Amino acid sequence: MLSPDAFNQMMTMHGVTMIFLFIVPMTTGAFGNYLVPLMLGARDMAFPRLNALSYWLFLGSGLFLYTSVFIGKGPNCGWFCYTPLNTRTYDPGLNVDFYALGLIFNGLSTTAGALNFIVTIFKLRAPGMSLNRMPLFIFAILAVSFSLIFAIPPLTTDLVFLELQRKLGFHFFDVAHGGDPLLWQHLFWLFGHPEVYIIILPAMGIATSIIPTFAKRKMIAFPLVALAELLVAFIGFGVWAHHMFATGLATTTLVFFAAASMMVVIPSSIQIFAWLFTVNLGRPEFRAPLLFIGGFIALFVIGGLSGIMFAAIPFDQATTDTYFVVAHFHFIIFGAAVFPLLGGLYYWFPKVTGRMYHERWGQASFWVTFVGTIVTFFPMHIVGLLGMTRRVYTYEPNLGWDAYNLTETIGAFVLTAGLLMIFGNLLWSRFRGPPSGPDPFYGGTLEWATTSPPPHYNFAVIPTVSSPYPNWDREDREEDVRRFERGLLVFETGHETPASTVRDGYLDEVLEMPSESGLPIVLAFAVSLVFIMLLTTHYVIAGVFLGVAGVVLAAWHAREPAEG
Amino acid sequence: MSSASYAQRVARPNGWWGMAVFVATEATLFGTLIGSYFDLRFKAHHWPPEGVPDPKVAVPLILTAVLVATSLPMQLSVRFARRRLAGLTCLALLVALVVQCGYLAMQIHLYVGDLHHFSPSETAYGSIYFTLVGAHHAHVFVGILLNAWLLLRFATAATAYRVVGLQSTTFYWHFVNVLAVIVTVVQISPSL
Repeated sequence: MLSPDAFNQMMTMHGVTMIFLFIVPMTTGAFGNYLVPLMLGARDMAFPRLNALSYWLFLGSGLFLYTSVFIGKGPNCGWFCYTPLNTRTYDPGLNVDFYALGLIFNGLSTTAGALNFIVTIFKLRAPGMSLNRMPLFIFAILAVSFSLIFAIPPLTTDLVFLELQRKLGFHFFDVAHGGDPLLWQHLFWLFGHPEVYIIILPAMGIATSIIPTFAKRKMIAFPLVALAELLVAFIGFGVWAHHMFATGLATTTLVFFAAASMMVVIPSSIQIFAWLFTVNLGRPEFRAPLLFIGGFIALFVIGGLSGIMFAAIPFDQATTDTYFVVAHFHFIIFGAAVFPLLGGLYYWFPKVTGRMYHERWGQASFWVTFVGTIVTFFPMHIVGLLGMTRRVYTYEPNLGWDAYNLTETIGAFVLTAGLLMIFGNLLWSRFRGPPSGPDPFYGGTLEWATTSPPPHYNFAVIPTVSSPYPNWDREDREEDVRRFERGLLVFETGHETPASTVRDGYLDEVLEMPSESGLPIVLAFAVSLVFIMLLTTHYVIAGVFLGVAGVVLAAWHAREPAEG
Repeated sequence: MSSASYAQRVARPNGWWGMAVFVATEATLFGTLIGSYFDLRFKAHHWPPEGVPDPKVAVPLILTAVLVATSLPMQLSVRFARRRLAGLTCLALLVALVVQCGYLAMQIHLYVGDLHHFSPSETAYGSIYFTLVGAHHAHVFVGILLNAWLLLRFATAATAYRVVGLQSTTFYWHFVNVLAVIVTVVQISPSL
């Protein structure tokens, strides 16, 4: 059995890893980065080198955070690391410093990525793709990127305060010197709640990509779904105190946040009904990707219903810090965010590799994963209501929890088996799968208009767009072929991609994109050294490396595109 | 076709948009700092706490006015750069840079003076005061570095790439100047 301290470290790193190093990099970083330029009909992101930097910073921050585990100093204060637990009095080691500095570091990568997405979506859309013709996945990524831009700063501020308090003896959170312990929680959740939607919005975007393809019709209520995606992100900034119902805030405050939290139901239901009716009104073909989306909708509804229960303040106060909460957010984070991710892995696998996955195995893997998820996480509701608390490394036998916890453990094995089936399927198909051709599912968005796998320049001829489902506009695609033959919108010299006007998507200019460069790696390395020096309180050397980073940035901008 | 078509462009360049988003996230950062200032203030019985002098009013206000005035030469430099007048661009940039450096030198002098009177590690007031004001000075410093870099670049020639860099940096400076007003008002608010 794990010692209490090892348990604390593992539990904290589980949360930190899943939120900061898995979900966001995977959904927004990987899926977003691969699909956004393809769906926009662009050849690259707006800032390719910044994109590289974002990746290397992410790698650096991940290694930084995980170094702590290997030297036995992993963060041990829970992923939201409440004060006073996080102060030097109660946690004197480097554990919390790894957490604080690692997450500031990670935030740099995330901010760079989000900025790049916003500019790419605003500026690099194919000619004719006005804002209202953007695919719903793009709307979701846009909403996520704006959320990140506004949600990361509160976290950064919070963590900077924490480090100033821990390293230099400042006072932000301790009452004895005029600090406010709740300030930590306010700032944390001002980031933390938008983060929930940052996690789930790309999943919603994947759902809105998969459903029309397999239902063989356009999404119904397209503008409403697009607005709902943006609205979810917006409302996400006004509900943070519902994580703090048990902290003794004023009743008026609680009521306001309870009401605001219930508002989230509106955009969520708009989307759920739009998905269901699209499937219902189409001619659905339940292949593996659509099955995962079906599972996602079921799990999202269950997790959403327990979510609404928390908006009832007395219920929340009764169940705070019990396994009921753990059950709720695993239904949301695993059920609602990861299921579309898994469906998306199957859906875009042929695009990425040029080979088909094994359909029968794909469907079987869905059922195993789905059953595993329910068996793992559903009993947590019950033990939570029976009074089992989170974050305690062990419990006494004969409290009536044993059978439920054993069921969860069995479920976890089933779930693991399901995940192994998925990855086994994809690994096998990577080498043995039959060729898929460019468009095996007859998808509606532009990634299906190019070959599988796409060439480095994505499109030989820049597509023009006249609807949100450009790949279903046969005439436009035939026109692409004719333009290719005449050499129009081909841009074959150098790294060229067109830029369009922000609102209407008129062709505006042709950009010469930057060449390959090793400088992003050097810069990320310098930044990593800055954080290591801050961790070990070598402030002067940290300053030196910051200077080095500045010099690298200057070198980065020294070589300019040639003027034609 | 190549990047020469900057001249025909209607929409703002990518670099400008990048800076706009960056400014949005930085503005949020300062929003949370100022929010924290007032959170701590509303929980306190005395603000500033006993034994800590009230903040000075006149000097920070005058300095802020001086800094805000640099928005003018910055904007002028963009105008000159758009017409590819490298010499005049450099002149306008130099004027801005000298004033900005003078401003920062004065502010650091005041900051160090404050540190002699009260410490960031004794009270929450000191902690948030020095963090907030210091964060703004750091932004001014970054702006100065950007301007120095641009001055070096425009000293040789005005290229389309550099013009976009200057436009973005000027946008950044407008932001830092607006922020200077807000941060200064917060900083001196206990004395008002």
